Amino acid sequence: MAPVINDYFPVLVFVVIAFVIALAMVGGSLLAGKQKPYPEKLSAYECGFEAFDDSRRRFDVRFYLVSILFIIFDLEVAFLFPWAVSLSRIGMFGFLSMLGFLGVLTVGFIYEWRKGALEWE
Amino acid sequence: MIVTAFFYIFAAILVASAGMVVAARNPVHAVLFLILAFFNAAGLFLIAGAEFLAMILVIVYVGAVAVLFLFVVMMLDIRFDQMREGLQRYAPIGAAVGLVLFAELVATLAGLKIAPVEAAAPAASGLTNSAELGLVIYTRYIFLFQACGIVLLVAMIGAIVLTLRERVSSRKQDIAVQHARHPADTLVMADPVAGSGMDGQILRAPGWTPALDKPAPARLETTS
Amino acid sequence: MNWTLAVPELVLVLCGLATLTIGVLGDKAKSHAGLATWLSIASLLFAGVLVLLSPSGIGLGGVFINDAFARFMKIVAIGGAILAMAVGFDSNRRAGLRHFEFPVLMVFSTAGMMVMASSANLMTLYIGLELQSFALYVLCAIDRDRLGSSEAGLKYFVLGSLASGLLLYGLSLVYGFSGSLDYAAIATALHAGAISPGLLVGMVFVVVGLVFKLSAVPFHMWTPDVYEGAPASVTAFLAGAPKVAAFALLIRVLLGPLGALAHQWQLLIEIVAVCSMVLGSLAAIAQTDIKRLMAYSSIGHMGYALMGIAAGNEAGTTATLVYLFTYVVMNAGAFACIVAMRRRGEAQTDIAALAGLGRRDPALAMGMAIFMFSMAGVPPLAGFFGKLLVFVAAVKSGLWVLAGVGIVTSVIGAFYYLRVVRVMYFDTPAEAFDARARSTSAVALVSGLATAGFVLIWAPVMAAAALAARSLLAGTVG
Repeated sequence: MAPVINDYFPVLVFVVIAFVIALAMVGGSLLAGKQKPYPEKLSAYECGFEAFDDSRRRFDVRFYLVSILFIIFDLEVAFLFPWAVSLSRIGMFGFLSMLGFLGVLTVGFIYEWRKGALEWE
Repeated sequence: MIVTAFFYIFAAILVASAGMVVAARNPVHAVLFLILAFFNAAGLFLIAGAEFLAMILVIVYVGAVAVLFLFVVMMLDIRFDQMREGLQRYAPIGAAVGLVLFAELVATLAGLKIAPVEAAAPAASGLTNSAELGLVIYTRYIFLFQACGIVLLVAMIGAIVLTLRERVSSRKQDIAVQHARHPADTLVMADPVAGSGMDGQILRAPGWTPALDKPAPARLETTS
Repeated sequence: MNWTLAVPELVLVLCGLATLTIGVLGDKAKSHAGLATWLSIASLLFAGVLVLLSPSGIGLGGVFINDAFARFMKIVAIGGAILAMAVGFDSNRRAGLRHFEFPVLMVFSTAGMMVMASSANLMTLYIGLELQSFALYVLCAIDRDRLGSSEAGLKYFVLGSLASGLLLYGLSLVYGFSGSLDYAAIATALHAGAISPGLLVGMVFVVVGLVFKLSAVPFHMWTPDVYEGAPASVTAFLAGAPKVAAFALLIRVLLGPLGALAHQWQLLIEIVAVCSMVLGSLAAIAQTDIKRLMAYSSIGHMGYALMGIAAGNEAGTTATLVYLFTYVVMNAGAFACIVAMRRRGEAQTDIAALAGLGRRDPALAMGMAIFMFSMAGVPPLAGFFGKLLVFVAAVKSGLWVLAGVGIVTSVIGAFYYLRVVRVMYFDTPAEAFDARARSTSAVALVSGLATAGFVLIWAPVMAAAALAARSLLAGTVG
């Protein structure tokens, strides 16, 4: 198990540095800046006016369709990772196996395209 | 030593953020805490040596599922204050169910040896576990792999069938249609007798429908 | 890689992909639902022939098994799917469901069922089940502009995912404590070592997950709402083929890898069977909606069929298989009659709408009466033979209580089935139904003939079921 962890040590250092910098900036502005809040300053406004509408507007269902299609292709990508790293060992059979999988997804893609699911309007 | 320390750090943040997912007042914050929880779970997987799972958690869950959650939360216009009233009432039941499941886990795992049959020693070949998985998924388990492809396809069909509205609400310009128009389709030459006018009649090109959701194509006014 | 084993599944999936492509590449202005349905029925028939021709064996990395049992289950599931598709032909058109995806999803769902019937590995079990269920979730909600349909889809999806989660939890425990995903290796591990509590917990979760898919009590809550809300053609499908596939999984898992735990699961199955029979017959009495009635009826039928598994031997398994065959046949017929209940274009699901059908439309009333009598278990109709076999199997295995409860609930059940017949023949006639489509009549006719003349096809069905049960219990591939 040790080797896996060792490989990720740089990532850990990276995360720690990012965390420290973020903390330093937020904390620094909290400490150094002058904080004088009053209701007018904190109230929401749109271009200098009072807010016209509730900020929690309902989203169009089309966003949802786009994101669910994204998840499906994302999962497909997840299958590509192990394939990519082992391709040299699984040979032609493994390659064709992935082509079959992608072929099925291509049918799905054609379906999606023709149905107009990829068009916003 | 340092690994153990990080295990506890990740575990503590994971539990805390999972609690915040339930307790957060703002649903968007709840989703953000969920993302934090996913990241920490990925860290735990890494510590356990399950590199591939950690990556999947980041790519699929943080990258896609959390985004979907965010959309759903924004789409549904949930009033969390009202939901919270239910939480108070159902909390004891939820806690009881959770306790039973936890007790079951403890009972099954306590003092028992997992996998009496010696499992194949993983990573003996010195490969990363993504590569190890790759060796079996695409060859030995090809049937299941392709079946997964079909499952994804069905999910795709389902998402489109259930949410796609073929309703055009904007007046987008379709250049191909405009180019394909022919004068004969749209133009009617009329020769009314002088002085009689067209009696208020308007000639319509063939195929004209008064549908509002369709940009009216050829609408020919009378020529007088 | 022995690909010949899975040729029917592969061909079916390829046909499904082809149908999808044809449907989507065609002229957008036209509906391709009719063409897609014809193509799907043809591909299912073709797959059925291939199933009959497919060789026995275990292969594809040890995840796929083909034996007489798998073939029997696949044929019954395909038959159920074809009948349901034929029912949907006309009812979808009248209900304004013009999606060509509809039959395509049914084809993929059926492919999932075939994979389930052939599972030799816990992963195959799960993926097959998910393939089947995903398509069903979508089908239930496909009439998305109608509130009932979306509600049915959502309910089925949420509860189905919960069941899948429980099942997956159980599978992971079984894997963790036995050390393998392959059925054969699990069976060897269980026979060799002491049985740990972890395995038992895993087994219970697996049974819960599968019983949920069967909609047997106490995991039946979703059934009436989903049956009522989903489009009639989907309900016809949902009530038939998926139950067969879930039974295939349950029988394969319980009698195969978990055979060593027979003492532990037997009681569980008995309890589920008794509860299903009792609730199925009692709750159905108060129903006024024919689709809800059919839901409770199917819950009851699942109880009877489970009785054969509880017996846990060859006779019991044979009985269950024959019961499932008769159930699928009469279920499809009954739904063909239900689909024909349309008045001025509006679907009628109230039992009262059948009033006086005997005088208005003697043929339809006759068909409905045959299916109701058969479900009640009146000899010499198909349902009687199924019930007889499971009762005999239960008694022979010493499950007196189970058989006793079964007989009592059959009598109670007869009450509500016969009530439908009474409404049809003795109530004052209501307004006539719309003209039936030929496809609907054809399904009712085929099912009606098979139900009424079951005595004639009894011998081959029984022989096939016995062969299937023997091949499963012998554990040999043959």
